[in-house]
Amino acid sequence: MPGKQLIYLCGMAGDVGISPALAQLAAEGWEIVIPDVPGFNGASGFVPPTDYLGWLTVFWDAIDATGAGPCPIVGASVGGMIAAELAIFRPELVTALGLLAPFGITDESDPGLDLYSVVAPQRMSHLFAKGVPESFEERFADLGDEEAPVARYIADIASAALTWPLGDRGLAKRIHRISCPTAVVWGDLDEVRPVALIERWGGGTVIPGAGHLVEWDAPDDVAAALRSVLPDA
Amino acid sequence: MLWFHFMPYPDLPEDFNTKHRSVWVDIDPALFDSGIIADKYHEYIDQLVYAEDCGFDGLCVNEHHSNGYGLMASPNLIASILASRTSQAAIGVIGNSVALYNPPIRIAEEFAMIDLISRGRLIAGFPVGTAMDTTYAYSVNPSELRPKYYEGIDLIRRAWTATEPFSFNGDFTKLRYVNAVPRPFQRPHPPMWIPGGGSIETWDFCAANDFVYGALTYYGTNMVRETVKGYWDRVEAHGKEINPNRLAVTQFVGVADTDAEAYKLYREPAEYFFNRSLHVYPGFADAPGYVTEASVRARYKSQVRAVARSKQSKHDLTWDEMVENRYVVIGSPDTVRETLEDSAKELHIGNLCAMLHFGNMSDELTRFNTKLFADKVAPGLRPLFSEYSNDWWPTNAR
Repeated sequence: MPGKQLIYLCGMAGDVGISPALAQLAAEGWEIVIPDVPGFNGASGFVPPTDYLGWLTVFWDAIDATGAGPCPIVGASVGGMIAAELAIFRPELVTALGLLAPFGITDESDPGLDLYSVVAPQRMSHLFAKGVPESFEERFADLGDEEAPVARYIADIASAALTWPLGDRGLAKRIHRISCPTAVVWGDLDEVRPVALIERWGGGTVIPGAGHLVEWDAPDDVAAALRSVLPDA
Repeated sequence: MLWFHFMPYPDLPEDFNTKHRSVWVDIDPALFDSGIIADKYHEYIDQLVYAEDCGFDGLCVNEHHSNGYGLMASPNLIASILASRTSQAAIGVIGNSVALYNPPIRIAEEFAMIDLISRGRLIAGFPVGTAMDTTYAYSVNPSELRPKYYEGIDLIRRAWTATEPFSFNGDFTKLRYVNAVPRPFQRPHPPMWIPGGGSIETWDFCAANDFVYGALTYYGTNMVRETVKGYWDRVEAHGKEINPNRLAVTQFVGVADTDAEAYKLYREPAEYFFNRSLHVYPGFADAPGYVTEASVRARYKSQVRAVARSKQSKHDLTWDEMVENRYVVIGSPDTVRETLEDSAKELHIGNLCAMLHFGNMSDELTRFNTKLFADKVAPGLRPLFSEYSNDWWPTNAR
């Protein structure tokens, strides 16, 4: 008998495992399910889909392959955009939604930092306000010295493909279809997705002193915000 | 022997490198004087026409966007002028970045027009395009760039050769009716050249399809040894002949009556180009997905190239380094000819694209360089590889 399941879609930088915020929920009995998404897993042989619908298909295939759901889904950054799409297009699968500084809506007057125009060695530092966690400094290190940089590049290809050039996929015109309990969380020091965007998502929790990957910068606050919408909260 | 022009802006300030982030993509538009640009367009076009008068076999133009050293946002406009003002030289548009044209059938039409106006002298170049031009200046999704490029070339070739209208159902372009009018003068189509920067996929693409590979480099034949070797390896792997006419390489050249005079004459324009107008912000050079996994894998294994790139990107090259490394081949006609002949023989270069204008070179010096090269260098190089067939040259070019 499976326990309480929660699907987690990682942010840009790829799949580095369960974030500290999600780890708190795991300690409370939630089974954190991380779909194995091509590209974001850094695996060799990745061929990006040629359009956005192709990307959604890739994600939904990966999610369906886990066998999880209906259940809450939490998405960070680019994963937040996909989580929102899931709630819009497959509402029967999503019982609650956690959106952590999601992509998908952009204000052209303040589009945020163009992360991929930052030279690769310096990119990670722009995702956090409190220092780069070790798991990000050593992304895919378990693959060895030769393969790890290739895997990092592949994960970057996936994120860049979904967010190029402005990170706007037209969600402003369809988020009204999200009907499940939803927590939107943002760090006020987010360089990549300016915090003012939270209003375009209907408002939510702003966490002082946190950067883009807010669930790493402020795990306690993020976990608290998520608990407020989880089914048995 | 081809004459290649970048058409650079010649008046970037001396402190450009310290005051500005990049010559490409986000260059400050206030730096450009439209009067200077207007004058230079005319001067540069006249230089290309003069190159034909001097006997050059081909004239090359290329495409760049939001760029301070390449003012040809549309090389087709310049090529159409050359098609009308010249009568013998090949006109190499090297080329149109296919993924930037929507639908790419536009390229088939415009190239056909240039080929017709020139009565069969067009070389049709199809670069993927730099990351700066494509993924940043035009915001093409880096993951879509290459598939769009390959799909577009397929469409263009079919549009040129189809005997009746057809439908095209690509991933990126869907057309109910493809019926390019006019078709090119050359049948089945103009020779196709593919400028590349060293990606494995492009080598295979050229070898498999019998396209000319253009190793376009700012750093001369000496620095493309690895690239050219990789290309020839793939040509061989595809069972094709190592015919030098399958390859084109760019090279900055400065000729004078003596080595000492050349050393003196070409220093300023070379330093302007390498240390000022080549000041590109490194973050614009590497959009994730612009290169494929295979090329990334090869890159990480090539520490030699990494070291070379690191030095080049600092933009603090000394004139002696430029000369010693042959970024610019300078000297008397004999010195230049011997150097270029050695490179051509070693790398099997059948098409040398000589860049005889660079940086802020004056019109007078450009013409002096062009004339001297045509009269005293080219004649010694032209007989090279004459034993090989050349199926990659325009039908009606000299």
